[in-house]
Amino acid sequence: MACGCWTGWWPTISRAEDRLPLAARFGAAPGGFSARAGLGLRPGFCPLGQTIALDLAEGHEAAGARAWAALTEGGTALEIDARGMAAEQAVALATGAALRAWGPRNPPRGSLHVLADAPEEAALLWHQAMPGIAGNLFTRDLVVEPANRLTPAAFVERLRALRPLGLKVSVRGPARLAREGFGALSAVGRAAASGPYLAVLEWPGEGRPIAFVGKGLCFDTGGISIKPARGMEAMRADMAGAAACAGAMLALALARAPCAAVAVLAIAENSTGADSYRPGDVLRSLSGRTIEVVDTDAEGRLVLADALHHAIMAHKPRAVVDAATLTGSIVTALGHHHAGLFGNDAALRDAALAAGLAQGEPLWPMPIGKRHREDLRSNIADILQCAPAGQGRQPDACHAAAFLREFVGDTPWAHLDIAGMDLAEAGNPLAAKGMPTGFGARLLARLAMTPGAGRPIPAR
Amino acid sequence: MLDISFVKSAIPKAGALVVLLAEGGTPSGLHAGLDEASGGAVTRALEAAGFKGRKGQSATVWAPAPGISKLVAIGLGAPDALTPDGAEAVGGAIFPLISAEPEATLAADGVAMHVAIRIALGVKLRSYRFDLYRTMEKPEDKPKLVKLAVAAEQPTAAKNAYAPFKAVAEGVFMARDLVSEPPNILHPVEMAERCRALEKLGVVVEILTPKEMKKLGFGALLGVAQGSAIEARMVVMHWNGLGTAPAKGRGKKAEADKPICFIGKGVTFDTGGISIKPAGGMEDMKWDMAGAGCVIGLMAALAGRRARANVVGLVGLVENMPSATAQRPGDVVKTASGQTVEVINTDAEGRLVLADVIHYAITKYDPKWMIDLATLTGAIIVALGHEHAGLFSNDDTLAGQIEAAGKATGELCWRMPLSDAYDKQIKSDIADMKNVGTRAGGSITAAQFIQRFVQGRPWAHLDIAGTAWATKDHPTSPKGATAYGVRLLDRLVADHFEG
Repeated sequence: MACGCWTGWWPTISRAEDRLPLAARFGAAPGGFSARAGLGLRPGFCPLGQTIALDLAEGHEAAGARAWAALTEGGTALEIDARGMAAEQAVALATGAALRAWGPRNPPRGSLHVLADAPEEAALLWHQAMPGIAGNLFTRDLVVEPANRLTPAAFVERLRALRPLGLKVSVRGPARLAREGFGALSAVGRAAASGPYLAVLEWPGEGRPIAFVGKGLCFDTGGISIKPARGMEAMRADMAGAAACAGAMLALALARAPCAAVAVLAIAENSTGADSYRPGDVLRSLSGRTIEVVDTDAEGRLVLADALHHAIMAHKPRAVVDAATLTGSIVTALGHHHAGLFGNDAALRDAALAAGLAQGEPLWPMPIGKRHREDLRSNIADILQCAPAGQGRQPDACHAAAFLREFVGDTPWAHLDIAGMDLAEAGNPLAAKGMPTGFGARLLARLAMTPGAGRPIPAR
Repeated sequence: MLDISFVKSAIPKAGALVVLLAEGGTPSGLHAGLDEASGGAVTRALEAAGFKGRKGQSATVWAPAPGISKLVAIGLGAPDALTPDGAEAVGGAIFPLISAEPEATLAADGVAMHVAIRIALGVKLRSYRFDLYRTMEKPEDKPKLVKLAVAAEQPTAAKNAYAPFKAVAEGVFMARDLVSEPPNILHPVEMAERCRALEKLGVVVEILTPKEMKKLGFGALLGVAQGSAIEARMVVMHWNGLGTAPAKGRGKKAEADKPICFIGKGVTFDTGGISIKPAGGMEDMKWDMAGAGCVIGLMAALAGRRARANVVGLVGLVENMPSATAQRPGDVVKTASGQTVEVINTDAEGRLVLADVIHYAITKYDPKWMIDLATLTGAIIVALGHEHAGLFSNDDTLAGQIEAAGKATGELCWRMPLSDAYDKQIKSDIADMKNVGTRAGGSITAAQFIQRFVQGRPWAHLDIAGTAWATKDHPTSPKGATAYGVRLLDRLVADHFEG
């Protein structure tokens, strides 16, 4: 299978490195850093400077991240002693530090020195890791932006800026979407001052592409079914799924990945306005299926319905994976330590689980039961968007997945409900509390590189 | 109650007749006999009704022969595609079509015996009705079916094969009765007394009072109960199917004779206590004892079919009321294990009850493994809905066996995660743990709480808050109490733990 591993190709590596908040070097001899982290060191200060204890209890990435976070105010240089560890572990320490060194306001560039037994081997692995880190951090850059700055139009501009890396970026605007029959996406986005857009990022490569589909709600007021004021500010992150897909595409481009990939991003703002869509409206989706709207705050599944259909019809992918901050229900179900994984294909599910485990982005499989689909029977359209409120507690995450399944046909499909994982809880080692985590970007990039995820790539 | 008998194939003289037909199949057995006697009129009538034998399809022919009130034809779908729970669903679909007749005959002489038995079981399970408190219903509005004769090729063999299923159905009905009872009737003391009915089946029943539980240090269970005017009870039910003496924890028993334990949450009514629930839907809280109801029904099923296994069922029975003596948010209670709990929310009471009962089960019976059942969290409904119960376990083998038994009986469950990261959410500032985390992962933190009391033993927890009660009819369970878990756990024991 040609789709194998990251390629360490020098000219692109510098590009990935440029996108990291720190420069990491691997060496066999101490570099004279004043801040040092290592196993068995006692946290505190010594005549040479700061000492930081490495704690491997939560793994090496977390240890590297916590070491970086322990730097005293203004500290931007750290040496980590990874002697006695495998090269992969040394790189995981550096990865954690690089992820944690990200900040929303361009912090001064840091420098990291990792003492390793096999510095050259570690450096090679580091080159392979950097694109994924850059992808994760690009996702964070997008998610952290407030909605007045990252409008749908501004989001699209950020994506167009990826063209020099070899990504093909095409964008459909509001008029074209309406003309071409993107009825669900158009309805959700039409009350806002900007958008909606459907952005398509393509990475050329071998075989049929894997398709990523992202929910990109730059802000979600809930629309006519408006959300309560409390906590609404977090809805600036309701585009984290689309941002993760974009981050994964960036990672693949920086790595000059050999396999083809495409991301289809539904970008819109769910606003209230005189032209808002209403509960009770019936929408004709791009697939031709009609949808009875129940709650305008369940807009994510609507924009995904059109984006999934477009991704499958236009790009004939070997597999389609969508990522979305879709439901509060998944947070009640799984909390902040697993994203929900739904789908229609056991092999793709297993590949996604494995990719999540390998990247420290854990997923948990969730069911789409017969009754979940039955609950969505509509009296006047093909399907209800969600189960009506007022009938007690609802398994909304499962309902949303049952809804989306109607739009993927028999293409291998996985759905990642990442609500609850997009912003860091207290105690998350890789990001400060309340900051974006970039969840999904590294997972999706890795999944794209997994041979056999979805249909086999036809031989050429 | 519906009585099911197995009889030789003969055209009945009265009542309804049910015939079964696969898609594209031809009448056989009784069906063929009756058709012949009618000169082909039955087949013509079914053809005219558009009956093709499709799954879920049915047609009625009135007065097809002297004495027979009606013939009901039921489609089995594609031949050879009928699964055991599909057969039960067929039985479930039959019941409403014949329930207006006092007696009926099911012509099952054309299908395999194991299919006939599962169809009969489906009719039986669907026939359940909780009728105790309806005094004004007109007789003609009540279902009348009391006798179903199943015509089979080998009636004696079929009767013997059906016997264990009949015992399980009786366990299911017992659980449904308990869950359906209103909370003023079925309080902890009454529920404990009802367990005595199991003695007839050879189950040894022990009832513990608050005095005894206090001696055992049940601070958590008694803390929940202290607001109610009615005393708490713990009932321990022993079924010693291996023929060994009732386990009393004396001496070292052989590994093979170690029992398995089932533990049920039995909050006969849950107002929420001082953290009182909203009024809307509070009446549902009469079935907050469904975990215990299921364990009691399961013991009846196992004993009824003389299961070859040593099983101990334990239920903690309390009522959670707000009152002058009720426990408060902020209270710290000491569990039987010695661990302390800060009660943040008095409505998260089920885990407090389970903590003490589970500790007792481990220290007294040293079980091979244990499973608890509880209508524990609303969060599990938000997570999974009403089709799957939430399954939590520290043992992959046991969890896999439970999932498989669930699929085999149509009582589905779905594995949910446990991990240290979730466990951290129940850290308390002043006690060993608090009884709730945040909304996020609410069912998982509840399971983490229980896990702190299992001492690392093989254990599984079924959160049945979404599956214990149905708001609409399902093929083998009319709306109301489902007795979810009885069949699943009976099957689990049958498949893996009978020697």
